[in-house]
Amino acid sequence: MPSASEQATSEQLRVAALRANPRLSRFNPLPRILFADDFDEGINGWCELIGNHDGNLDNVRSVVSDMRPPQLSNCTFFDTGTHGSMSGTYALKLATRPKPGHMAQAIKRLTFQKRGLVQFETYFTYKAEQTFRPVGCGEWDGNVDPSEADFGDFTFSNDVCEGEHGARYHCALRYVNTDSSGQLRQSWMYKTSVQKSTKMQRAGLSGPVLDHHVLDPRDWREVPGGRMPLCYNEVPTKLNWHYLRWRFDTRLRRNVELQLNQTTLTLMELDVPRYDHPYRSLDNLLNFCVDVRTHKSVRNFLYLDSVLVSVDW
Amino acid sequence: MVRRSFTAVLERNAIFDAPFDTEPYEAAWATEARCFVRVLEMDSSGPVRIAAQLSPDGLFWCNEGHAQISLEGPGLYSFSLRDFGHWLRFHADFPQEPLRMKVMIYLVLKE
Repeated sequence: MPSASEQATSEQLRVAALRANPRLSRFNPLPRILFADDFDEGINGWCELIGNHDGNLDNVRSVVSDMRPPQLSNCTFFDTGTHGSMSGTYALKLATRPKPGHMAQAIKRLTFQKRGLVQFETYFTYKAEQTFRPVGCGEWDGNVDPSEADFGDFTFSNDVCEGEHGARYHCALRYVNTDSSGQLRQSWMYKTSVQKSTKMQRAGLSGPVLDHHVLDPRDWREVPGGRMPLCYNEVPTKLNWHYLRWRFDTRLRRNVELQLNQTTLTLMELDVPRYDHPYRSLDNLLNFCVDVRTHKSVRNFLYLDSVLVSVDW
Repeated sequence: MVRRSFTAVLERNAIFDAPFDTEPYEAAWATEARCFVRVLEMDSSGPVRIAAQLSPDGLFWCNEGHAQISLEGPGLYSFSLRDFGHWLRFHADFPQEPLRMKVMIYLVLKE
């Protein structure tokens, strides 16, 4: 066992190495970096989510049948050309269809070696597609653009399963820019029901799923202190990258905290709904998901410049 | 490093009975592209013409002019294209006679 002094030196060296690395110094990782994705290097294992099926794609539940392939975007717009990502050229882009209620989701699939702290960090931005006949509310005053109200919401979530004899749950944190009626909410929400699974549907749980994350679209509560206007920056073609850090604990099966720029929300008191039935074939499951959803007939986009996930294992 | 590549499923067991465009897809990083169309069902002999369209901004589109294929029944069809710039999508033209088809559409990109 290293001495306390050796451990302190080791930590100082780790922090010094992080701070000296331009690609890592903008993050605040836990002791072990599980992956550090720069989308200039490619798609990095982020793929489209699809619901379970038996080889017949007609059997995929409609809510998870069209989550759209992620894209490598150089963030090009009609007015100024290529914006580029925060560093380098490319960002991971999720794009909805121009269809009210449509969600695009990408997933990265891992397994965990131990239960403990997991931290997801990213630099991201979000936009509604440029329109030329505003669909949003309000007149343009030269500052606030109606397109801000064309953007629905984005969600960061996980999928954790301890195996057939353990718990399965999804932590999900949604930034609701506008609600389904188009009103600006600009607040972080957490979910209060489980995500309907293919197993649940085949076991007889009927009814349409209108929101992939929850059994009923109303099953969301505002995170205490979660009201948080972000830097949309007025028009659909100017990107400002935001820092987000989300920590959850797979030992406690809870969210821990969410940081966005200068604000950190404490999440430990929030209940995370668990399934009341077992799942096989998912031992040590640790999936990371990002999604974007539109409430209007306007495409919504979520861009990730980079993602870093670290753990305390 | 090996050449990067990516396959996007643009339509999955989708049923169409009228002209349509696939969703815009950003391909600026790729040098070559190939469209695969797997016709699962088609209730007449068509043909349905699938053609590549290009865009500098994902908003305004023009025909690529060369890359296209005619779908005349169930089976796998493909065509390739290069020098496409940035955004890609595929436009489907239907015959005048009523036609219904079920398709998978893939876009395969490579550096």
